[in-house]
Amino acid sequence: MSRIGAGARRSMLLRSFAVQGAWNYRSFIGTGMAFVLAPALRRVHAGDPAALGAALSRHAELFNSHPYLATVAAGAVARLEDDGTPAETVVRFKNALRGSLGALGDRLVWLVWRPASVLLGVSLVLAGAAWWVALLAFLAVYNALHLWMRAWGLRVGLREGLGVARALREAPFPALGEAGARAGAVLAGLATVLAVGRTAGSAPEWWGVGAAAAALGIALGRRVRPTAAVGLLVVLIAGLLLAPR
Amino acid sequence: MIPDLPLLAALAVLGGLVALDGASVGQLMLSRPFAAATLGGLAAGRPGEGMVAGVVLEALHLAVLPVGAASYPEGGPPAVAAGAAFAASGHSYAALLGIVLFALGCEWVGGKTVERMRQLNVRFSGVAPGAAPGTVGRRVAAAVALDFARGALLALAAALLLGWLLGRVQLSRVPEEWARLALGLTVAAAVASALRLFGRGHWPFFAAGALGGAALLVLG
Repeated sequence: MSRIGAGARRSMLLRSFAVQGAWNYRSFIGTGMAFVLAPALRRVHAGDPAALGAALSRHAELFNSHPYLATVAAGAVARLEDDGTPAETVVRFKNALRGSLGALGDRLVWLVWRPASVLLGVSLVLAGAAWWVALLAFLAVYNALHLWMRAWGLRVGLREGLGVARALREAPFPALGEAGARAGAVLAGLATVLAVGRTAGSAPEWWGVGAAAAALGIALGRRVRPTAAVGLLVVLIAGLLLAPR
Repeated sequence: MIPDLPLLAALAVLGGLVALDGASVGQLMLSRPFAAATLGGLAAGRPGEGMVAGVVLEALHLAVLPVGAASYPEGGPPAVAAGAAFAASGHSYAALLGIVLFALGCEWVGGKTVERMRQLNVRFSGVAPGAAPGTVGRRVAAAVALDFARGALLALAAALLLGWLLGRVQLSRVPEEWARLALGLTVAAAVASALRLFGRGHWPFFAAGALGGAALLVLG
């Protein structure tokens, strides 16, 4: 019978939103991980303050992960502590887990889901939707996955313990990533044409310029940001100095 | 053009909140320029105008990835100030051009302050085995408070400086048409560049979306 009841699980889930609260260059999210684990550790080590202090200290050491999937590690570690697994095993397990949790989350969330969600909002604005519709659509779509990942991670971690790697392999992340990438590419194409259309208006010569800008954007990739900044600065200075009065 | 005191206070609070949302607490993406600028516009009474600034800043922020311990520009607090400033500008594209450039500079400064804060946060790392059980919670709370204060100060400074600059620089000398075209082409290029995030192999999907956009323009 687990000593980590529903109240402790809820508290861990809520605390997971602040897992990066004390992000630093020495222990990364280690302090935050101990903060998330504290409700479970208090129950596991109830009546033994020395063991509780030692466990919190152990779990405040270096750890890093994607923030949404940190709940997988927190759940699994809480389960191992509850099972009385030796401390060295728990530490080794955490070290083995952190790389894959970081890579999985970065690839799915930062690289695909977030840009796809925000492109949905941007496309809606460019298509003429009300500001609140676009904002709600972006936040709802993005956070549907975000909140599911946190809750799923904690549940799976607590259930599987050391076997959490299998659950991660069987999770639908690759399929979600591919679907998100396809939807994101569609939305990028849609938003690009809507942006060109809004810029060109009824002047056909600007359609060609807009298409060239889009092609340049694709070619530049991440370098579009500094390039665009320089371009905007040139237009600003030229406008201030050269524009006809 | 400098916002009045109640608006400045609201922008500072929003700046602190979106700074927290960026990494420390939540990560619900209220900190994205698209949302943060809209919130800034909302505080100034014109959320739709704030969102226009947010679209330009968001397009330029799409490829910024917070992977690992990488240093990256911080979009939230500057976008709050930018959204409010554009809301107060009377929908001038020339003003938006200046606001966007200012916000890009501020994003860089914000990124540097995040780096500095993470160095300071080293004092909150680790817990001694004999420490009281509440120590971890207090450390996280202290770091969160520091981040809130940092974001609030950044948004406040950005709003004040932006208001002062917009009052000093005669941006109305920049032709509206020049600014509108430059900003529109920037959004088109930056949004198109997102194809690289999804993989260039997905270009048939990009093309399908482009066709859909063309159909919308023709029908609408």
